[in-house]
Amino acid sequence: MRLMSRKRHRQRRRRRTPHDGLIASFCKKKCSLRQQDDYSQSGARPRPGLDLPEDIYRHIHALMPLREAARAACVSHTFLQSWRCCRNLTLSKETLGLNGNGIDKDEMARDLISKVDGILKNHSGVGMKKLELNLYCCRKVDHCYLNSWLPIAFRAGIEELTMLLSLISEAEYNFPCSLLFSGSEKSIRYLKLSSCVFRPTAELDCWRRLKELWLTNVLITDDELECLLSDSSMLELLWLFRCNEIVRVKIPCQLQRLSFLRAGQCRKLQEIESNAPNISTFDIGGSNLVKISFGGALQVKNMTIMCSYQPNVIWYTRTKLMPSVLNVETLHISSCNEMISTPTLPSKFLHLKYLHITLNGNEAISPAYDYLSLVSFLVASPCLETFIFVVQQTDMKHDSIVGDISHLRQLPEHCHDNLKSVTMVGFCSAKSMVELTLHIIKNTSSLQCLTLDTSFGSYGCSVDKPGGCNPMRRDIIKEAHRALLAIRTHVEGIIPSRVMLNVSGPCSRCHVVERD
Amino acid sequence: MATREAGKKMIMLKSPDGMEFEVEEAVAMESQTIRKMIEDDCADTAILIPNINSKILSRVIEYCNKHVPTTGATGAAASDTVAPAALAEDLKIWDAEFIKVNRATRFDLIQAASYLNIKGLLDLTSQTTIDTISDNSLEEIRSFLSTKNDYLPEEEQTIRRENQWAFQ
Repeated sequence: MRLMSRKRHRQRRRRRTPHDGLIASFCKKKCSLRQQDDYSQSGARPRPGLDLPEDIYRHIHALMPLREAARAACVSHTFLQSWRCCRNLTLSKETLGLNGNGIDKDEMARDLISKVDGILKNHSGVGMKKLELNLYCCRKVDHCYLNSWLPIAFRAGIEELTMLLSLISEAEYNFPCSLLFSGSEKSIRYLKLSSCVFRPTAELDCWRRLKELWLTNVLITDDELECLLSDSSMLELLWLFRCNEIVRVKIPCQLQRLSFLRAGQCRKLQEIESNAPNISTFDIGGSNLVKISFGGALQVKNMTIMCSYQPNVIWYTRTKLMPSVLNVETLHISSCNEMISTPTLPSKFLHLKYLHITLNGNEAISPAYDYLSLVSFLVASPCLETFIFVVQQTDMKHDSIVGDISHLRQLPEHCHDNLKSVTMVGFCSAKSMVELTLHIIKNTSSLQCLTLDTSFGSYGCSVDKPGGCNPMRRDIIKEAHRALLAIRTHVEGIIPSRVMLNVSGPCSRCHVVERD
Repeated sequence: MATREAGKKMIMLKSPDGMEFEVEEAVAMESQTIRKMIEDDCADTAILIPNINSKILSRVIEYCNKHVPTTGATGAAASDTVAPAALAEDLKIWDAEFIKVNRATRFDLIQAASYLNIKGLLDLTSQTTIDTISDNSLEEIRSFLSTKNDYLPEEEQTIRRENQWAFQ
């Protein structure tokens, strides 16, 4: 069988004469493809003894996972040459097969570094386009290793470089920026760094091809970042996370291609001034709210504003920020508390389809906040389809509807024509929250699904869960039961039959308290 | 130049064993090699595809026919109502069936894909080859790829020592 197959191949190879090639008679003018595609002239004809041309073996080799590729290097010189010029190298404990089970962490780190060292030192330095050094698991990497590996990559004209050092160690390694402009190609397109000191300069326009810049736990100053950005006219993505020297980020308007901007947990960050006109995803998170200013027309479609220690972020977003991002389609807001109710304003968000608001408090949400005021968002967003509202609080200080016989407020009728799905997690018996729910039910003819979860965001309650649920305080369980009572009394009776109502509460096994 | 049928531009592809295949231009242009010829106006009446016999060429056309984007007039299996994810899943299943061929045919397809510059087919055929040889011994890999061990014994020892980690 095997012999027959080989014979057939030999016959086939014999049939390929130098006359082969894309036939000339069909060409009106000189067709450059003819020659370059002709096996006889490209040298791509299979060598005797090989069933495939060498370039195809190289293509197959390039697609192999790292371990397979390293093994295949031992097959023959063809594969070894291909391995020495390997285009993409992803070096991590996973790709090198160090699973770490039962091995001392420091020992594994030494093993990983020595294997990475072996692979990079034996690379010819030719053809490498993408290098990922994932050394998260190494608490400390001797800088002399990094200083010897990076020049190999840059000598090869690297286009994509990822260097991830341990996040638990301080950023100490000085990334050798001089390498970036030592080559003639200025080729870097993608740069992802963590836990290092990064002092770029705009020298010799080495950033002109940069498309993505990811910096995590990296020390870089405002001026250095600004200098880099002013030279990166091709930049499409900028990610700054835990960059603790940055106080002010200024995005110049020359960054016409910049579409994704994220700044998170940058401790000293106070202000972002974005003048790039085509940002579609804008994502800001951290302890405190930073001053955000937009210049020019904006295309922001996805916006996330998350602050873990800053109150009134909903108010800020609604009043200050949203008038600048009228094209927004999805919006996530997270605030630790709200003391000011959300005002109703004339601006409309005609494209907003998905709204996710979280109140994530380490205390009770201020009773001064009127949940019903969130209708402001619904009125301003006629195309809204999904509304998710999550409240996590340690106590409930709002006036409860249970036992309250006073009149329930009703806002003027409004038709929320496109709203299909509403989810409220941490649903409580606060009168204004029930009023918000009733407003939605009565004014949303398109509503298909209403989910009310009273478990205070204590996810994962299930009688099937082995070991039981997370403990809940007794007063919280009591409030959850009050919320369930409020749903039974005020909501269930008016739910139209077309709406699917999902109600969940504390688990019946672990979170049982005697009723009052 | 090529004929027109129901508003679709057709291209004639000829295999060296004399078979002719009339295919939609959009299908033929799945091959970057042919696309370039058409764009450079090098494809007058018919294009001879050297090196690829009719049996393999017909399989290549079958692949291109399935993978040509189904937007607009170029009709194929998909319709506007099919979700992209379902379409991708359908293609994956189809590819898995398509590539169930013997070794010789697969190698012919790899060469055809490389020559005609059809990335999807080249990746499919190459990946299937990798799947076949993964976890095999070096001898088995050499045997499957018909490649000789051209190392001197000491060379082989050195390179094996260097990559010892990959054998553990």
